[in-house]
Amino acid sequence: MSLDLGFWTLQALNALQLSMLLFLLSIGLTVIFGLMHFVNLAHGALYALGAYFAASAAAVGGYWAGFFLAPVAVAGVGVLLYSGLIQRMRKSGPMAQVLVTFGLIFALLDITRIVWGDLALGLEVPSFLAGRVALLGVEYPAYRLFIIALGLAIFAALAFVLSRTQIGAMIRAGVDNDAMAACLGINVERLFFIVFCVGCALAGLAGAVAAPLLSVTPDMGLQILIPTLIVIVIGGLGSLKGAIAGSLIFGFVQTFGAVLAPQLASVLIYALLAAVLVIRPVGLFPAKG
Amino acid sequence: MKRAFLAALGLATGLAVPATAQDIKVGLLLPFSGVYAALGNDIEAGFTTALEQFGGETPATFEIVREDTEVKPPVALAKAKKLILQDKVDVISGIVSSGVLGAVRDMVHGAGVPLIVANAGNDEATGEACSPYITRMSFSNGQVNRPMGQWMYDQGIRKVYTLAPDYAAGRQMIDGFVQTFTAAGGEIVGQDFTPFQKTQDFGPYLAQAKSSGAEAVFVFYAGGEAISFVKQYDSFGLKAELPLYGSGFLTSSLYVNAEGPAAEGVITALHYVPTLDNPANVQFVEAFKAKTGRVPSEFAVHGYDAGRALIEAVKAGATDRESLANALRQVRFDGPRGALSIDPATNNIVQPIYVYETVAGDDGLTQKVLAALPAEADPVNGCEMATPVSN
Amino acid sequence: MFRHTPLRYAALVLLASAALFQALTADYFGLEILTEIVILAMLVIALDMVAGFGGMVSLCHGALLGVGAYGYAILSTKVGLTPLMAMGGAVAVTGAIAWVIGAICARSHGIYFIMATLAFGQMGYSYVFEAPLFGGDDGLSGIARLDLSFIGLDLNDGRSFALFCLGVLAAIYGAAVLILRSGLGRSLSGVMHNEQRMRALGLTVWRVKADVFGLSGLISGLAGAMAAQHVMFVSPGLLSWTVSGEALVVVILGGLGTLVGPLLGAAVFVLLKHEVGALTSYWHLVVGMILIAVVMSRANGIFGWIEARFGARIERRAADAVRDIDPREVKTDA
Repeated sequence: MSLDLGFWTLQALNALQLSMLLFLLSIGLTVIFGLMHFVNLAHGALYALGAYFAASAAAVGGYWAGFFLAPVAVAGVGVLLYSGLIQRMRKSGPMAQVLVTFGLIFALLDITRIVWGDLALGLEVPSFLAGRVALLGVEYPAYRLFIIALGLAIFAALAFVLSRTQIGAMIRAGVDNDAMAACLGINVERLFFIVFCVGCALAGLAGAVAAPLLSVTPDMGLQILIPTLIVIVIGGLGSLKGAIAGSLIFGFVQTFGAVLAPQLASVLIYALLAAVLVIRPVGLFPAKG
Repeated sequence: MKRAFLAALGLATGLAVPATAQDIKVGLLLPFSGVYAALGNDIEAGFTTALEQFGGETPATFEIVREDTEVKPPVALAKAKKLILQDKVDVISGIVSSGVLGAVRDMVHGAGVPLIVANAGNDEATGEACSPYITRMSFSNGQVNRPMGQWMYDQGIRKVYTLAPDYAAGRQMIDGFVQTFTAAGGEIVGQDFTPFQKTQDFGPYLAQAKSSGAEAVFVFYAGGEAISFVKQYDSFGLKAELPLYGSGFLTSSLYVNAEGPAAEGVITALHYVPTLDNPANVQFVEAFKAKTGRVPSEFAVHGYDAGRALIEAVKAGATDRESLANALRQVRFDGPRGALSIDPATNNIVQPIYVYETVAGDDGLTQKVLAALPAEADPVNGCEMATPVSN
Repeated sequence: MFRHTPLRYAALVLLASAALFQALTADYFGLEILTEIVILAMLVIALDMVAGFGGMVSLCHGALLGVGAYGYAILSTKVGLTPLMAMGGAVAVTGAIAWVIGAICARSHGIYFIMATLAFGQMGYSYVFEAPLFGGDDGLSGIARLDLSFIGLDLNDGRSFALFCLGVLAAIYGAAVLILRSGLGRSLSGVMHNEQRMRALGLTVWRVKADVFGLSGLISGLAGAMAAQHVMFVSPGLLSWTVSGEALVVVILGGLGTLVGPLLGAAVFVLLKHEVGALTSYWHLVVGMILIAVVMSRANGIFGWIEARFGARIERRAADAVRDIDPREVKTDA
């Protein structure tokens, strides 16, 4: 086997691509948790919904219709969930939230089956992203580069919003101490609502982006849930830095684990998670303390 | 809870009351929820198509009791027990996953209820764990892939890289191919088994296959993983320099259209494709399309032939569990797949294997048959078939 | 600490007599479902012990059940121990593993604890799934049941086995009550309510947590050994996180920290699954809706609702249990 520099570049790009996909998913989940202390186990189901919306819209109006429509549609579902369920659950404990989001996983899974059937759907990559691009001495699929670029762009945008804008300051204040933030005149409830919807939209976007790469099946949400939870727990809950760090760690461990220690590939990430929690019980970069 | 059960029981027996000697009660044990729901639905549709089409050939009536396994072995076993002890079915058909088959095997064997396996392909079921009551009308993991080793060697391919999910079926599929390919003189330059249903990105494995110096890649993937794999393989542009071969489930007609153009040119081997040119298949495809609006898949044909085998057994004079078990093992007919028979040594099906290429057709992708490889009985694999049940 | 209120006694008596009646009169499939409920009840008692009384919400109890089941299967079929010894061995191994997990995770709280236990559970699942020694995903078959013919019980008969499982469940329930009332159980309550204070009092907090988690593991292991005997087949699905998730749902559905509630939860959940499943293959949707409805009623599960409605007073502890799981909530409330 000729494992030259090109091979490792290719693998590094693979790792980066997986990391960015997970970042899109985990950032929404982690900010919702950081701000609202709400463990939304149904986040994966929202991602699956995003993929289905994208597949349906793409069948009519092409890939980009799905790409732009899916986040909006999933955010719409988010609005419904928030006003119907989440808002009323704000004061109930985390156990009730686990139960209700578990119920949502069940319900959304079957709703996708009823609406879209049990058969897997496919989604084509848009034609100008279908080819490959020569980069750093390797040929790499353009669509994967697009995912990497998109992930980095979203990261940059969120970093800017959170650190430089007023709403970012309000969110940071809310994450740090929501009672104090409310005392300072910040409308915390509205803040929660916005963050929840943005989180949902990002989950929908992740679904739309992942759909052409993977297959769109009813259980795709369940399959992605555990990796996403691992990412946010390794990174530390509630922080952007944690989400990106966790995603990168997951992506690189998974990719290079598959290359260097294929027998351990499936156990490796869990061992790492356990190790991180033993050394730092609240993850690497938690939002506070 | 009690009352509800009794009500359900009453309903079931109520239907069975006008029982004549020729009323055959069939338990369909299939996943209707969970990851294999699509397969379960296809098999059921195939099974009922067969009953509608051939049911008139015998005066017997068939009553179907369907149970959902949820692809969970303990659930499936409980349902199998219900079918056998409470519904008192004469025969069970179905079973998609090998794990479920392993779970119900002892139960049906012990109770002496004939089981027509309509999918699960683990080699042991018609090997070490074979039973005179278990007849397989689908395939075995080794059977589908074994002929491909010699065939690929004959095409001039000498170095192959293999990939499959890391579970029993994945390993058996690949082993079947590797045996004959290396026996023919070919070389396996590398192998990877990817975590089953946990691999989102096949990129790392594809990069390894690419740098391995192989001339071709042989894989087994099914369902959602097959779709992801074929698409990702194509996106790396590997198809041109490193042709993709595999077990035919990779490009099954059930989901090949979700793979899109990425599947074009992939060459695989399977025991059935809907484009086979024989009268039985033309008839089947038409009937199945009329019923479901879809082209039948290999899963549908398992159900169809399982139903057909049952009718053949009844036509041969079988009326109860014992005689059905005995008659099922002697079934032979020309079906959509070609000439089928049951190997008396293992109770596994003997059927031709078709090498086919996925090509673009008038509406969506279709299958072009490249070669029909002759039927071969599986090796006995440690099966010691108990003496045939008395006639 | 766990207390038996008159309402709890009443519920216990009612549940026990319903189960006994069912065990003595049910037809074949009824017994099958009863046994399924009883084995699930064993697991949820183990889970309620740690989650409801120690704030340790575990997502690895499914895996512990699986370890017990596989332990029994391997010790009895491959190693060749007698079923009784195999059961003892399986239970001991599961307890030991649980103790280690508990000790390692003792420093984590809230969602971090959940995820840490999930990590251990998934490690076990992945390992068993891929290990040829354990039969991989095809599972292991040919598992025998305990031989109790010397007291005239043939466990291969469904009715006897259901009765035997009921007996085991009663013993487990009794043991759980004893543990929760012992010094260890009281220390655990103390730790759940205020870990710092207990530490200041000189208690080795991690030991208390690990010990209780280990005991809970023993019970899970026993439940696993019973599950293996019930199905006479083991497969990796037993260890999957969804089993742990379902067990957690059952505990919350029944009433976290009430011990009696989860028993009721197990019965409701299994019956619901079967009854709805018989009507439609979309039973997930119906069950999901019901879970949401239960939560929206703002009670601590079904039994919590009953207690709030009919009980002399609401168990304050149950409410505390819910609050203490997220350390941050404690801070804002304090």
